[in-house]
Parts: sequence; structure tokens; C-alpha cells
Amino acid sequence: MANSVDDENRIGEIVETETAFFVAESFTLHRPPALGQLVCVDADASSCVYGLVCYGTTASPDPGRRAVRRSTDGVYDEAIYREHPQLQRTLHTEFTARLVGCVEQGRIRHYLPAQPPPLHYSVRQCMPEQVRAFTEELTYLRLLLSATEIPAEQLLGAHIRQVYYLRGRDQDWLARAARHVAGLLKNEYEQLMTVLYSIDIT
Amino acid sequence: MPLDIDLLYRRVEQMLVSMPDTSSRQEWAKCQDFLRHADPDLLREKLRRRDRGAARIPWLVAEPLSTLAGAFSASPLPTDVSIAAADSSSIAPDRHSSLRYYVLNVGYAVLTYGSAPNALLDARVQFCFEPQELYFDPEGKRIPIEESRLAILMAVEELTGLYGAAKLVSPPLLGLSDGSLILWNLQSEDKGLQSEYLRRFLSTLDAFRRDNIPLASYVSFPGSQDVVNSLRVMLCDRSAGDCAHCPQQTEDQTLCRFMRGVWDRQLFDGMLRPGERTDIFQSQSAILDKYGEHHIQFFYLNVGGEIARIEAPQWVMADSTMLDLVHSAVIDQCRKSAQYPPYPSVLIEAHEQAVISTADRQAVEGLVEQALAARGIIYVRSAKDRSKRSRGV
Repeated sequence: MANSVDDENRIGEIVETETAFFVAESFTLHRPPALGQLVCVDADASSCVYGLVCYGTTASPDPGRRAVRRSTDGVYDEAIYREHPQLQRTLHTEFTARLVGCVEQGRIRHYLPAQPPPLHYSVRQCMPEQVRAFTEELTYLRLLLSATEIPAEQLLGAHIRQVYYLRGRDQDWLARAARHVAGLLKNEYEQLMTVLYSIDIT
Repeated sequence: MPLDIDLLYRRVEQMLVSMPDTSSRQEWAKCQDFLRHADPDLLREKLRRRDRGAARIPWLVAEPLSTLAGAFSASPLPTDVSIAAADSSSIAPDRHSSLRYYVLNVGYAVLTYGSAPNALLDARVQFCFEPQELYFDPEGKRIPIEESRLAILMAVEELTGLYGAAKLVSPPLLGLSDGSLILWNLQSEDKGLQSEYLRRFLSTLDAFRRDNIPLASYVSFPGSQDVVNSLRVMLCDRSAGDCAHCPQQTEDQTLCRFMRGVWDRQLFDGMLRPGERTDIFQSQSAILDKYGEHHIQFFYLNVGGEIARIEAPQWVMADSTMLDLVHSAVIDQCRKSAQYPPYPSVLIEAHEQAVISTADRQAVEGLVEQALAARGIIYVRSAKDRSKRSRGV
């Protein structure tokens, strides 16, 4: 079957899209992609949009239905989902990804794409070689500073840790990333230190 | 113009004063004592005698099939079990619109518990505008399908939807409907319409029976007095219903007067422990004469915080396995409910599938308007309706 490898990498569908970010519904309840993970959307055959996961949430898609307590003495945590199978259908997990780049005319670009990715298109997790290629240069990290969903330093830290491991504990890359962040946050001592502490993992 | 709240407040106070006084502990004790010790054989005999006689009982009464005050606990529910439910919602025909149509949305939920938990949730919407959908017109009578007739049609479609949902899973399973299975409001309808809707309703009941799928319905906070009325018939030594001429001198007559303001759910509250049900009663609603083998029977059930009325065709109640499944599945559904007093989860989910939100209603109207505009037709609504939508000073 065509695209079978790609299909396995599909992790969600875009349900809201804007110039700087998109929101996707995760195919797996409670399991949005990890904070800081690089994901991509194939907008058409020749172009691809990259996003960085900056927020995740699980709730009812109906704003009129709030989650209520379901646990009893003997039924809690995972057992709640066996006891109330409808929760698998009435709850949705969504994640937000900040756009950090795209592929244009076969080249990776670290700027916002001309158009946001199309609504209802698939979000895919990036293969390790894609991550390696995209993160070779670090100019995209600047785009994370405008994140409003969570503090930017938390997002930077989470992303750098992810990539460090994905690149096979690449010490050189980590040192480069730390220097790059130091440049970005040279006037924000507290934020910078938060990032540096969080990536002190060697 | 705001409402005159002062006037309303005074009327609310008056309403409370004029409510039947059912607070007397002594009278309650007498009521429940009478229920405990009344002879069901005698009651059955009296009901049948009255039914045959010239002075028919003017109230809706229930005939006990066995005991009057028996209480029964639930059996264990099978580990692997599915519960199906259906509910419906409508956009009624709008007489202020130049186009006549209505929308029916039948939602269903099938919840499967046990080794392979699963949930099937969906809805089927129908847009009805054909003359045969808008009118019941066998002999040129042109009876419009609206208000109570639309409500009956919804009940018929709901049962069909419930059967369809139940067929999606394998037994053991229970079909649970919301509200009464007794189409009492058909009684006053045109005979042709009555027979057509009954034919469709009963053919679905036939299908349930043919496929051996137990079916029941759940009435929350039931406003019925069938059992209370039966007790009053038993207490009455005169012509039941002739209360205007009752001297109200004897103790039985005073108790009967007290019971006029008592609901069945109140009668059984305190007599049933949480999880327990009453014995089976046969409803005597006139429309049930036409239900044949599907005559509806019922019991009351303490679901914990509320006494609910559970109705089912007689073939379900007569089968002890099916009856046990109805009892234990409803209790389990209420135990799973996240609210108090509880309400079966499966009915909540079916309702969520069926409900048509205000935004959806507006979207349907918008669709009609757009389709007309595309053909150069202006969507006309009544002047009265327009005046209400754009209120000028």
C-alpha cells in the first residue's frame, strides 16, 4: 500500500490552523507528541511545514461538557476508562505546534511558511534523519521565543533535550545549541539560566 | 417589559399553600402499612370487577402481577455486556416560515463493558419535507405532523434507532429507551394515524422479541400514580372516582384523600433500599389494549437517590434472565453515573448524540436560506416573526 510508512507516522489531524501555529487532534487519547518534539505536515507533494509541539491538552471537545469525577473506591486511574468506555470517544487529546520552518524548493528554511498548513491535513512525527537535517542549523530556535502557550525557556529546554537524544547524545550539537540560546537570551539572564539548567544533562 | 416578579412571588406562595399536605408522618406510615398488608388477590379481583362493571375506574390503575410490597435485589451483571440506548431531538415545523419542513435527529450510544470495552456513538439526521412526511393523509384528511404527533413519531423513530444500534453488538445486551414505552398520547389521535404509528412501533418490538434482545425504558422522577390509585380503589367502599360525594368520615376515606397527593415514587421511597426493585405491575393504560403480546409492565427501582420507573414488554418481564439483566444493568448504569441522583450513562451519551444545539438549528435555517438564495428566491418569514426578531422601540 502506498504511503504505508508515512501512514504509520501519522499522529494527528489539524483542526485549527494559523500563520504561526496549528492545533491538531491526536489519534491517541492522553498521548500528544512530547513537548518540544518536531512534527511535520506535507502541505503538497513538494512542500512540507515543520512545527514544534508546545502544548497538549485532553478535554471534552464540547465546551458545555466538563470532565467530572469518575473514580470510586475500587475504580480509579486506568480502570475508569474500562468502566466508562464512552470516555474514549467523548474525550479528545489536542496539541499545538508552533511553526518553525518549511521545505521550499527542496531546501529547509527556518522561517514561517507563506501559508499555514491546510486544515484537516495529517500531522506526522519526523523521522530521526529529518530531525537531524532540520536541526543542523539553529536559527529556528529564535521563533520559539514568541511562544505564548508556555514559557519560551521551558519549550527551548524541552526541545533541546529531545534533539540531543535523537541525535545520539550529540555533545557538539548540545554545546552549539547552548551557545545559540545564550546569544538569543543575552539580555534575559533568568530565562537563559533556566534553559541552561534544564539542558545540563550530559 | 420585565415580568412582575412581586406578583409571581405571591402566586408561588399561594401555590405552596394549596399543595396537598403530604407531610403527615402518621399518614405516610398508614399508607405504607396499607401497601404492605393489602391482599394483591383481592385488589386484582376488585380491579377486574370494577373494570367489568358499569362504573369504570376513572383513574389510571396498575394491576400487581404478584406481590404489592415485595422488594428484590439485583443479580450480578454478566462481566461482558453491552447496553444500547437511543434518544431523539427535532426541529419542529415552523409556521412562520414559507417552507415547511422538520428535522429529526436520532442519536444512539452502545457501551460495551468487560473484556473488550468499547463505545459506539453516532446519530442519523433526517430532513423531512415530502408531503407524505409532513402530513398523514390517507383519505384526504391532511393531518399535519407537528407537536404531539411529532413527539409520537420521534418515539417511533427512536425505537427503530435503538433496534438498529442494538444490532451492532452481540449479546448479552440490553436496549434501554428514555421515557415511557406507552404511547398514551396516541389514544386521542385519528384512528388511521394511531394504527399506522402503532404498526411501526409494534413491528420494532416484534423485531426485538424475534432477536431475543431485552428492551426496557427508564423513566426518571416518574409522575405516575398507578399503584397509589390501585390502593385507593381498594380502600374505597363506594364508586371509585366519585370523590365529590365522599363523606370522608371513615379512616379509609381519610387515608384515600391523603393518597390523592401521593406519587408512586413517594410511596416506594423508604420501602426499597438502594438497588432494590418492586414486584412487577401491569399498566392499564387504554392504548395498551392494542399492544398485544407487547403489553407494557413496569416496576419501580431505587437507583440511589431517586425512585425510577422501569417499563418493559411483558415478554421481557416474564423471562427471569431478561428481567435480571434489566434490573442489574440499570443499577450498574446508575452506579457508573457521575451525578447524584444518578442517571444511566448510556442515556446521557445517547442524548448527547441526539441533541440539536441552538447553533445547529441556526445552521439548518441558514442552509435553507442559502439554497433558496442560490435560486434567486427570497426566504420569506411571517411579519409577526420578523417583528419579534428585530424589536424596535
